[in-house]
Amino acid sequence: MGLDRRSFIAFLAGGTGGILCTPVIWKGLDDISIWSQNWPWIPKLKYGQREKKPVVCKFGSDAYGVRVETAAGRPFVAQGNPDHPLSKGGICPLGAASVQMLYSPSRVKAPMKKVGDGFENISWDEAGKLLAAKIKAAGSDVCAMTGDETGTTADILAGFLAGLGSEACFLMPSESAPAARAWELLGGQGMPGYDIEHADLVLSLGADIHESWGTVVRNGKAMAADNAVYTYVGPVQKAGTSISAKTWVACAPGTEPLVALGIAAYLINAGKGVGMPGYDALKEFVTLTNPPSRVAQATGVSEATMKQLAGALLRARRPLILTGSEFGQGADALGCAAGLVLNVLLGRVNAKGGVTDIPFTAAVVNKAPDRRTLLARDVVGYVQDVAQGKTKPAKVTLVVDANPAYALPQPEVTAKAFEKSDFVVSFSSFMDETAARADLILPASYFIEAMDDAYAPYGSGQANYSVSPAIIDPVFDTKSAAEVILSLAASTGIDLGVASFEEAAKARAEALGADWDTLAEGTAWVAEMSNGSGVSLWNDALRALSLAKVPAGAMILAPLARLHLGVDGTPTTPFGTITIRNTELKKNVLCVQMNAATAGKLGMKQDDAVQVKSPAGSCKAVVSLSEAIMPGVVAMPLCLGHTVGDAFSKNKGDNVYKLLDVQREGGTGMSVFGNPQVQITKA
Amino acid sequence: MFYNVCPNFSRVNGGCFFQISVLGYQQKKDAKLGMEVMNVQRKKSCIMLPLLAGFVAAVALGWWGYPKLVFSEKTQPIRFSHSVHVSGQGMDCTECHFFRDDGSYAGLPTTEKCAECHEEAVGEDPAEAMFVEKYVAEGKEVPWLVYQKQPDNVYFSHKAHENQECTDCHMDMSDVDTPQAYYHNKLTGYSKQTMKMWQCERCHAENGASNACYVCHK
Repeated sequence: MGLDRRSFIAFLAGGTGGILCTPVIWKGLDDISIWSQNWPWIPKLKYGQREKKPVVCKFGSDAYGVRVETAAGRPFVAQGNPDHPLSKGGICPLGAASVQMLYSPSRVKAPMKKVGDGFENISWDEAGKLLAAKIKAAGSDVCAMTGDETGTTADILAGFLAGLGSEACFLMPSESAPAARAWELLGGQGMPGYDIEHADLVLSLGADIHESWGTVVRNGKAMAADNAVYTYVGPVQKAGTSISAKTWVACAPGTEPLVALGIAAYLINAGKGVGMPGYDALKEFVTLTNPPSRVAQATGVSEATMKQLAGALLRARRPLILTGSEFGQGADALGCAAGLVLNVLLGRVNAKGGVTDIPFTAAVVNKAPDRRTLLARDVVGYVQDVAQGKTKPAKVTLVVDANPAYALPQPEVTAKAFEKSDFVVSFSSFMDETAARADLILPASYFIEAMDDAYAPYGSGQANYSVSPAIIDPVFDTKSAAEVILSLAASTGIDLGVASFEEAAKARAEALGADWDTLAEGTAWVAEMSNGSGVSLWNDALRALSLAKVPAGAMILAPLARLHLGVDGTPTTPFGTITIRNTELKKNVLCVQMNAATAGKLGMKQDDAVQVKSPAGSCKAVVSLSEAIMPGVVAMPLCLGHTVGDAFSKNKGDNVYKLLDVQREGGTGMSVFGNPQVQITKA
Repeated sequence: MFYNVCPNFSRVNGGCFFQISVLGYQQKKDAKLGMEVMNVQRKKSCIMLPLLAGFVAAVALGWWGYPKLVFSEKTQPIRFSHSVHVSGQGMDCTECHFFRDDGSYAGLPTTEKCAECHEEAVGEDPAEAMFVEKYVAEGKEVPWLVYQKQPDNVYFSHKAHENQECTDCHMDMSDVDTPQAYYHNKLTGYSKQTMKMWQCERCHAENGASNACYVCHK
């Protein structure tokens, strides 16, 4: 019998019947449906013991404690640390995204050397030899910049440069430098501290306490506790700081601290400060040289309002005055001093809910300059001078945990200064504008991959010290920047007195009288009480400082710091991208916010494409109308317009730092920037 | 030329349509039509055999061949003997499979946990020596093959099921000396023993527990 057509059909029919009696079809369909849900790119969860490990987050605007939660040792989320004095359970938008960024595609995964227009991966050994050779050849002709203002890494870096014979080690701009200078001028020994938790009235003169001023997370917690009445003086009714405040007083950008001088005049008239050191000089300065009428003219805040604010301060039991830049940098020392003077005048120094004197820490690294000296060095002025040929460029430039090519005023000036340096090295965790310009990129371990520390971030109420242990091994081929610098120092024959970062941190803990084991477990050390004796009301040095001059009728820019958009050293995170509002970025174009009256005066309307020009540069933007901006002022968000990075931050809008022109403050010579006069024309 | 199919088809074939087979055909001239027609001759044939053969082949393929095709057989990285630990050492299941302080379930013990007793080999078994050498000394976790691992989209709490018997869902391993083979589904990536949703739902229904989506899918 052969297999004919009928037999074949019968075979198939039998086969079909047979298959239906097996699980092939049902199981196959089920498996295919499951297979279709299991694409290889879908992340897989890691199971195991969950732990919460305390570390210090420096990813946002300030250093504060967070708890990183891990599953089987793998970090998956960061949360606020209720036991840390600067967190109290809170976390900022960048801190919340910090673990997500551990695995970011923009992480630098291995040392890289510039070859032509690109980079090639090299080994750490090769990178170390290359850098050591360049450093040896440069001698003392080396400069460095770091964004780590609170950590011992800055001391190690500064000590290394001092060992080479260079004094060109700088901190990136912040509120700390003008505050340190102002406090010094008033006779303070360390840094001013602000006991915001115990105040019952907080007058914020320009200080954006929710986004950029001081200990932002702690500030938010203090505000949420609702123990004080908050008043914000500034040009923009800000989503965090001023909306939460009871009162918003509109004030011309950059002149907010001057309001303190006007208020001081009313307080003196009310009998405050009599007999205090410097009383007569201050009285003359605020009643004769710069009377409230003049302050009112400069700031746009009426004399009646200043009198009203003075009355509120007099009635409060524990008033506290904060002064600062609207975006956390570029302020002048006089402004900061004016706010501090009000605190002194009201007897708020060394008082509960007032101002404290937080001492600088003892030196723990050989040759390292003290922190006051480091804060007094002006990185903006140095870069401008190098670019303009007024200062000799360094042969080797070391950039640690900072992105000056993006975040210093006028990035093109920084680029010019970098071009003049023979060899630029970036110690960075992420590929950013500075790393892209560097000749050598040394991937720095992330904050949870290496030990770090933080001493009393600016704005703290009391001296405090936290140590952040490494809770995981580096995800990529990275190293701690501090350890690399220590190796470099050893290879170039410079004795910094410490062999490792841990040794330096232990020395710091010992100098403070803190228990190392407790610190290493993640518990912060807090000083019982700092003293601020010897502070005066006013002195001749302050008289020499200059008042900011605002041209009448000028259009002034108020840069907006927004943590969800990023900070100087950290671009917009993937979490942050989805929170960008259409008043900040519209169809990938930066928004320039102004109120309807200002727009009408300029002949603009909503969504008009414009060019914003300042003496420093220009930005493309689109008009966004907002009644939260005072007339005569335009506001633009910072931290957009990155040209290097991942898809979440790159090529979104424009960089407002291009518009910030730099002035030198009379008296201190410090670089002041932040509120340029701008012209707005239709594009 | 056209084909003329026998009109008495069913009768010719004895009314058994299962037994038809075409043997050939003859050509002859039809007197009325005056043309040649083809007269197909049919003969009784047996289709039962191929039908049965097809059925049997498919059943065999479905029940024997298909599993071989879809599942790959794997063995555990270390031949772990439960019987040595339970019967031999008198250990309780919960000494290794325990709830953590936060209520989460540890599942399989970590290498660190095993190393509490096996920092060094304590017996003669080569599997133990291999475990110490490859995992304890290296500080690595053993990539155990979990027979009933649920996918990530299922939130399963052992704590919520602690009143059930372990063997309601898991194999009884207490007397197992050599772990059973693990069958890996090449399509889904899951184990053959992974519980299906209908099994969860049935048990929930039988025990009066909610079968709402969010109970298991967060």
